[in-house]
Amino acid sequence: MTVPRPYALLAEITYRCPLHCPYCSNPVTVESAVPSGGQAGPTALRTAHATANNGELTTEEWKRVIREAAALGVLQIGFSGGEPLARRDLAELIRAAREAKLYTNLITSGIGLDDDRVRALRDAGLDSIQLSFQSDESSLADEIAGARAHERKLDVAAKIRAAGIPLSLNFVIHRRNIDRLPQIIDLTEALGAERVELANVQFYGWAFRNRAVLFPTRKQVDRARDIATAAKARLAGKIDIFYVLPDYYDTRPKPCLNGWGQRYLTVNPTGDVLPCPTASSAIPDLHFENVRSHALDWIWRDSESFNRFRGTEWMPEPCRSCPQREIDFGGCRCQAALLTGNAANTDPVCEFSPNRATVDALLHQINSSNGQVHDWTYRVNPTHVPVPA
Amino acid sequence: MRVTTISDLARPSLAKGVRLQIDSTTGKSVLLYPEGIVELNETAHEILSRCDGRTLVEIVRELAEEYEANSNALAADVRDTLSDLQQRKLIEFK
Repeated sequence: MTVPRPYALLAEITYRCPLHCPYCSNPVTVESAVPSGGQAGPTALRTAHATANNGELTTEEWKRVIREAAALGVLQIGFSGGEPLARRDLAELIRAAREAKLYTNLITSGIGLDDDRVRALRDAGLDSIQLSFQSDESSLADEIAGARAHERKLDVAAKIRAAGIPLSLNFVIHRRNIDRLPQIIDLTEALGAERVELANVQFYGWAFRNRAVLFPTRKQVDRARDIATAAKARLAGKIDIFYVLPDYYDTRPKPCLNGWGQRYLTVNPTGDVLPCPTASSAIPDLHFENVRSHALDWIWRDSESFNRFRGTEWMPEPCRSCPQREIDFGGCRCQAALLTGNAANTDPVCEFSPNRATVDALLHQINSSNGQVHDWTYRVNPTHVPVPA
Repeated sequence: MRVTTISDLARPSLAKGVRLQIDSTTGKSVLLYPEGIVELNETAHEILSRCDGRTLVEIVRELAEEYEANSNALAADVRDTLSDLQQRKLIEFK
């Protein structure tokens, strides 16, 4: 099989984050989960020093990863997390990425972005910022974030605009904010963003744990789709609106990653290289290689983890003989693992999957619960990952 | 589809946040923008590498000379390409 070249690297440079969004796709850390109603802290970011090989990658290690990724064919890098601003060396990493001719995106909550830092990132060559919001107004947004963040984000959006950096907004849409979609789109317009991603929550990591409370009803989803379609037409040429569908309500799976090991790779804070950011927690029986032990080129081309679901050879029926197999690639491996216990199964969202009943049972439960209120569990920071000095 | 008329004197330029670059893996030219990449064919590359303040007529005239092509047919091609890129917000007109 010819191994394709990757186009984009997601650099998850830290799992530390001042927000506690219950829909976070980061791996769930079990040691100190906080139920809603309780205090969502502590927000203090850890400053322990890295020891041996279990801590966050150092600046020099990230720079090497960036150079190796560029040599492999990568053209775009997204700095993400956690909150990437929690790394004091972010500007230095952006500079290294620009030197390697990569297009640089920062995917951020905006918390910690003051005037000096915005300028430093711009001067390092940052091409674009994607700023997250939780809703259109403070009370709900801050409740979702588990922190006082919304007003600061409004201020940060203005700072980004003033610095002349292209601005995209990102809203994760779920049961608690989906009915605010018109106001959310108004906010995007008011903030002068060039692009907005209205992404229905995908159920991985913390979001998988909080599925019962985050899942929108069919009625909500239908209404939201109409609103998004109308807004897209109204704002065409002014704001690009990307509406990410809630795949459980679909009958065909999403073409996850455009195929495993085809275009994307993720490096997590401690250097594990993943075909998909959620793979390490969703598919625990797959061993992922680390940049501290192997060259990125070998991991991408030759490692077991990148080849396990590459192409179509691994596919079971009904995918193997399906005319859609090169269109949706059998859907999402993480979703198959989370819902059926086996990552090699057809994504159970597919109407031809023998496990579709699992999804239907869940939809039935969500749509017949008569607005029953559940509590969610706020995301907490991992406490076992040492941070470089 | 929306019909856009582009004036002869319009000056196309890359939109904010868009970069034109050679992809060192393929040697082809690409447009990079937030979370997206477009591979350009030769025509698009020839047009975009001239989007630096020149007007549409100037771009068409240069291309017609270089490729010894009929400038009316070429003008239509250039307009189509630019209009497509404008709708994708990858270029703008000044």
